[in-house]
Amino acid sequence: MANFLIRRILAMIVMFLIITFVAYNVLSLAPGGPLQELQQQQQNNANRLDAFAFERVMVRYEFDIDLIPRYTRWLMGQPDGPLNLFGQEMFGATQVGCLRKGETIFKYPDGRVVVSDCEVPVYLNDLKGRAVSKGILALDFGTSQGVLRGRPVSEVLNSRIGLTLLLQGISSMLALAIAVPLGIYTAVKQYSKLDYATTTVAFLGSSLPSLFWGLMGLLVFAVLFKQWGLPYFPAGTFVSNTPQTVPLIGVIEPESFADRAWHLILPILILTFVSLSGWIRYIRASVLEVLKQDYVRTARAKGLSERAVILKHAVRNALIPFITLVVTILPGLVAGAIITETIFSLPGVGNLLVAAIYGSDYNVAMAVLLLSVVLTLIAYVLADILYTVADPRIRLR
Amino acid sequence: MAITAIKPQKENEKARKPLARADTQFTIVARRFRRHRLAMVSLLVLGAIFTASILAKQISPFERDYLNVESAAKFLPPLSTSPETGGMHWLGTNQIGQDLFTRLVYAARISLTTAILATTFSTLVGTILGTLGGYFRGVIDAVIQRVIDFFSNLPTLPILLILTAVLVTDPRLIPIPTFVIKFLQAIMLFDQEREARVVAALILILTLLGWTGVARLMRGQVLQVRERDFVEGARALGANSLAIITRHIVPNAFPPVIVAFTLGLASSLTAETSLSFLGIGIQNPIPTWGNMLAFTQSYMFERPYLPLIPAFPMFLCSVAFNFIGDGLRDALDPRQTK
Repeated sequence: MANFLIRRILAMIVMFLIITFVAYNVLSLAPGGPLQELQQQQQNNANRLDAFAFERVMVRYEFDIDLIPRYTRWLMGQPDGPLNLFGQEMFGATQVGCLRKGETIFKYPDGRVVVSDCEVPVYLNDLKGRAVSKGILALDFGTSQGVLRGRPVSEVLNSRIGLTLLLQGISSMLALAIAVPLGIYTAVKQYSKLDYATTTVAFLGSSLPSLFWGLMGLLVFAVLFKQWGLPYFPAGTFVSNTPQTVPLIGVIEPESFADRAWHLILPILILTFVSLSGWIRYIRASVLEVLKQDYVRTARAKGLSERAVILKHAVRNALIPFITLVVTILPGLVAGAIITETIFSLPGVGNLLVAAIYGSDYNVAMAVLLLSVVLTLIAYVLADILYTVADPRIRLR
Repeated sequence: MAITAIKPQKENEKARKPLARADTQFTIVARRFRRHRLAMVSLLVLGAIFTASILAKQISPFERDYLNVESAAKFLPPLSTSPETGGMHWLGTNQIGQDLFTRLVYAARISLTTAILATTFSTLVGTILGTLGGYFRGVIDAVIQRVIDFFSNLPTLPILLILTAVLVTDPRLIPIPTFVIKFLQAIMLFDQEREARVVAALILILTLLGWTGVARLMRGQVLQVRERDFVEGARALGANSLAIITRHIVPNAFPPVIVAFTLGLASSLTAETSLSFLGIGIQNPIPTWGNMLAFTQSYMFERPYLPLIPAFPMFLCSVAFNFIGDGLRDALDPRQTK
């Protein structure tokens, strides 16, 4: 077990480094960043910018540094100058980037260009004294460049994560509380009326995405119910500005608890329904499979009560593979409700990620991605550990 | 394998009927599938939607991006005529006066082609890598398994969002051969090369993130099949690995992959629609069900019928793919004897 954990955690670290390196560099390729904005302004001659202003922006966003040092600076705030060994500064003259690209010397007719060497190289010495974050390993995600320009990313995240945790926490718990008993019941009472009803609803729920159900829920419960004079849910807002009169319920004061709840019920129900449907189908299928097994027949032949057969022999075995699905709740807590948050305009992390991508806010996008990567990695290790707890036949080596 | 009873030939029948043979695997599966009523209905519905999208140019009354300039032509209700050309707007017009029916049909063509191509490629890659890993095992398998582990440990939607945002906004970042672009332009009826590049980038991304499930499935199947007697028999007769894989292993390991392919179509469609809805995937002026839905959301208070127009075909397709997947799963299940 200890051996297994050490190996898994080492593998996790490697995965983490690869994913963040790739993602960080892919994001830095993204067009529409601050540089492109400047270039456009120059083209429009709105603000006449000289080459130095342009380079200052490059330096500010570290676009002048090569991929790997730029990544390590983001990861752990290093290198922040020449290597300091026993008071001796070393490798100060190592080139780590290029501020001004060489000029085009020659253009081939097929589009290839020959560029001269870097005109203004960046050396390790030049990094001395530059502002650098402590690195994400020290939980310093840098500053936001678009969503809330200038504010620390951790502050932006903090302001958003509570809502997503609330949404996903409540809906996952609800979904679990309904899916497990209902899945077991429909499998045990196969072909009963409740089974037919549940499987039909679960089939529809799992074959269509949250996008569809969110919009349809909004259409029915927010738009049509309002027109028909039924108690409706709000759409497109997170808090009310003025007291709202809802038929049959009464007046809802802005920013009261009732107001918050009123705004969150519909998205929570949609999220619950979508994950519920998939889980019910999964549990039902695996309980049905287990009920056919010989050991269940043996348990019945021993004269055990049906209750003991199902709860102790069938369900316990049937729910083991379900662990893999349950642990996905963990990464879902951060970025599992992107679509639903967008549909209901809820200021959660998913919404933040979309906004960050729109606004080329790399630090924010990377922070969200990072959190979900780490949580996904933890979730899978957790699944392996839970497997051994639930099933003593499985040993991790 | 069931052998159908040979009916006694009637005396007066002169024409000699060919000898009744044992049913092929295909006829057995087809017969079982036909019995799955919902799957058959789904097949018909999908057939209709496919036909409409193939005939997009012929059945749509307007050009894809034609817009009525007059402000009176915005938000026309269904079944009204265009004040400019006199053409029929079967489903009305959108917020800038474009014909919704036309855009819906083109969107079907674009969304479905994207889903089909992305799923085909990811199934192909998954099948090849899964087969190689399962058959040869050893180092090849270990490497492929690591890659699968890597991809399946990714948080899919955030990665999908970021990749798409980068690659779709600037599709020149990935070099795609010109003939592929030309091909996509031809089948999706794009006038502009840029539009084809966007779709190509999206297909590539969906493939990249979608192949691991099939690979894992195929590997498991191949690991079972390669131990069977007929594989050993083939090897004893001197068949080489290529022949064993293509003639014995893949055909026997493939049925679950067919099911996975059908269900994969639904999830590719979902992924594309969701991305386009978020404004990160395929964007205006290229119509897809996702970005049409995104536009209707802003106007649903005044015109509640609007979201239903793109949502309905999306509903039909997703449900149909899932029903067909279920039908195929039942039909291909060897434990079924009928």
